[in-house]
Amino acid sequence: MALPGENRKGWDGVTGSSVFRAVLRHETGMRFACVQGASKIFRDLFNMLKGLSSLPSKLPRIQPDDRLILMVMGAVVGIASGLAALALNHSLEAMLDFVHHLRDYPWAFILPGVGAALSAIFLDYVMKEGAGHGVPEVIYAVSRYGGLLRLRSSISRLISSCLTIGSGGSAGPEAPVVMSGAAIGSNIAKLFKLNDRQRVTLVGCGAAGAIASIFNAPIAGLVFVLEVVLGSWSTVNIVPVAIAAVAGTEVSRFFNGNQIAFSHGGFDIGVADTVAAAGLGLATALFSILLTRALRSMHHVSDGVKLPKWGRAAIGGCLVGLLGLLFPDVQGEGYHAIREMIVGAYSGAFQLAAIAIFAKILATSLTLGWGGSGGIFAPSLVVGSFTGLAFYRGVTFLWPSIPLVGEGCFALLGMAGLIAGILQAPLTAIFLIVQITGGYEVILPLIVVSAVSTTICHYFESASFYMKDLVDRGQLLRPGTDARVLNDLSLGELIEKDCLVVTPQMTLREFVGVVKRSTRNHFPVEDSASRAFLGMVDLNKVRPYLFDTIMYDAVVVEQIMDRNVKFISYGDELAAVLNTMDTEGLFSMPLVVNRRFVGMISKATLLDKYRKELMVQTTDNP
Amino acid sequence: MDTQLFHIFRNTPTGRETFLQSIYFCTLMGVAPVVYVPKHTKFLMYFEKDVVQVDLDGSYLTAPETSEKHAKALAEAEGLDPGFYKPKNFTASTLPDIPVDFDFMCCPRSISDLTSKIGLGHIGSRVRRIIQSAHFPVLITSPSFRKWNSITVFFGGSANAVNALHLGFRIARKTGMKVRLFTQVEGRKTRDDYEKVIRENGLGDDMERYVDDWLLFFGGKFEENLYEVPHDSLLLLGAYGHGLIRDILFGSKMETIQSVMPNNLMVAGPNYVDRGA
Repeated sequence: MALPGENRKGWDGVTGSSVFRAVLRHETGMRFACVQGASKIFRDLFNMLKGLSSLPSKLPRIQPDDRLILMVMGAVVGIASGLAALALNHSLEAMLDFVHHLRDYPWAFILPGVGAALSAIFLDYVMKEGAGHGVPEVIYAVSRYGGLLRLRSSISRLISSCLTIGSGGSAGPEAPVVMSGAAIGSNIAKLFKLNDRQRVTLVGCGAAGAIASIFNAPIAGLVFVLEVVLGSWSTVNIVPVAIAAVAGTEVSRFFNGNQIAFSHGGFDIGVADTVAAAGLGLATALFSILLTRALRSMHHVSDGVKLPKWGRAAIGGCLVGLLGLLFPDVQGEGYHAIREMIVGAYSGAFQLAAIAIFAKILATSLTLGWGGSGGIFAPSLVVGSFTGLAFYRGVTFLWPSIPLVGEGCFALLGMAGLIAGILQAPLTAIFLIVQITGGYEVILPLIVVSAVSTTICHYFESASFYMKDLVDRGQLLRPGTDARVLNDLSLGELIEKDCLVVTPQMTLREFVGVVKRSTRNHFPVEDSASRAFLGMVDLNKVRPYLFDTIMYDAVVVEQIMDRNVKFISYGDELAAVLNTMDTEGLFSMPLVVNRRFVGMISKATLLDKYRKELMVQTTDNP
Repeated sequence: MDTQLFHIFRNTPTGRETFLQSIYFCTLMGVAPVVYVPKHTKFLMYFEKDVVQVDLDGSYLTAPETSEKHAKALAEAEGLDPGFYKPKNFTASTLPDIPVDFDFMCCPRSISDLTSKIGLGHIGSRVRRIIQSAHFPVLITSPSFRKWNSITVFFGGSANAVNALHLGFRIARKTGMKVRLFTQVEGRKTRDDYEKVIRENGLGDDMERYVDDWLLFFGGKFEENLYEVPHDSLLLLGAYGHGLIRDILFGSKMETIQSVMPNNLMVAGPNYVDRGA
């Protein structure tokens, strides 16, 4: 029992003792011993707490570092994008269950058409997306706009691709989940007001989490993002993206277990297989190019059809449905066929496997080229596995004595070849196939097939399927490249406004007076009444006149000015401006807006800013 | 004329009214009009921290073959030579990217909603997001063309109101018009409190030079006090001084002004950058 006033002193040692002294005055016997023991325990406990309370000041202080923030955010984005991938997976399963019993009806061929039409309507009228497959948009946003993506993109492609693929369209769910994950990352970055470079990293985290989750393959997610999406291997990106890939994978494993998508019994790889892989690389390169061009040309064909987008999607879908009556394996994502091929249970003959390659390419082109929604990852895996299977059967038919490991292994190698070829991303192909098949023993032929396929494809197609359009439009701006640096500079920050303006009526004497006050070699000439830009006087070109005093009152500016001046307007790309300066041998050009002179853009200032921007883009600090 | 006003042209009588308002602003301010004649109903504006998708209503695609001709004729009648912006970058084939480095932008109150073309209506969500993200102020036009002869700045002392005041002085410098301040006093603030904010933001000299009237209301309803604002004044205000939740719960001053006043409004958002004259 505390004495009045004593417990108000606070919990220090003296007060504690006083409390117990007060207690002691009122208690006797055993009770005295008990309280004395309790007092000791209390004092020890109190001292321990006191020690703990001072512990944080002794620990090294954790500062809110940018990299730490990105790592934490990366984990959050990885979990969110992993959940998005799971949601699409489960929705697809539900959709496939729903339409499964309808496939027996004679009219079932219209199902992919209905799905694709609904998908186009959803994208165009409900979500108002007005965009394509997804991954190119992510690369474009990373390339030009610091990874800014619309919030609606985080769900739009998930639903639209579910409708397309679930109803039997030939497409993959991977690109939609990449788009979704990337949009989640971008919008989380926006929510926390992160800067451009941090936002780009989180976009990569979203894409990595999604790929890692959907394939249960964290390294494939990481490599895909660095090789394809970000196009840079800086340490600033690698750690958060890796964490996101792990988070995405863990989400997948938590809900689905640690499943390997295309497991097999193991392969005993020999030298013959590695050599044959080079031949397969050639074949997969051929079909990669064919698939790329078929998709592209089908886009052009469908654009010529004067129907609303949903109508075109319906036509494409119905044609896929009809094709599916002959080759059921071409419908949907096609993973079932891959599983059969990898375990060597695919019953079709060589001819059937070869025809299936073309059928799958046609089905995918009809689905995606005519307005369905989805990606090319899964179709590429299917085409690749058919190519591998056909290659194996062809080789063993022609040279039965060659000891090849088995058709399952070649189906697996074919997948790597197609992915490497169409994405021109050999590392992604290698790590993806290693992880989704759970076997490291095929690594040597995997490297060979991926390297050969990428090299040949690059020879015929200057850029991968995802980047071709961007490259053609000059909009693929990778960090640290010339185009990217120039894109990040604006005319506004280069304008030099210290030019002295002259008028056409000015005499040479007056002009010389202006020259004395000026620090520049160029003098814009403006109409004295309207202030319209008329031309320039270049000091180097008129220097002989300046020292001839007889001319001072006989010559006016109008006579020495250059009227055919190349000028810059707002909206001109700096790359084009620099190109004009190079080809015309100019060191500066005037900026003219609405017929008024605004200022000069000089090559020296441009290159100075260029250097500074390049340093910003290539340093590793976010 | 190194400053530019971005205008999305609508080839309809209503669109003509909006464009006339832009031309009038450009003439007074010495600003070059940059006209975008849309070929698609969607476009994207990539701001520093946000991307805004604008879904135009179908009327923006009316008679595309005469759009440029009409816009050019209207601008040339006032001695302006409009630039026509052709999108160079596309996020998707039907989704052009519009640059965001203009000095001003002109919008009707809503650019996505057909119903509020004539009536005042509400400021549409896209216009709000543009205001919220842009470095430039947005001129929200009166439904029909009307000239303005004075400038009224709504000044409540917030950071965004200071932005509006900066903008007011910028326009006053270019047009030679005087500035009128409108303040609905909140709480127990006095005129000195508001003057202190102005001085602290380095606007004391401009205040003396350009402001000729200060409508300071210590009481009365805000909506009723708005009657004192002349009908031919350009209204300048800062947007989003409060959070969205507070705006929803207590109402936004900007929403009240735009729904009560038929005048032309110019709104400076939180990211407004004063680029001087």
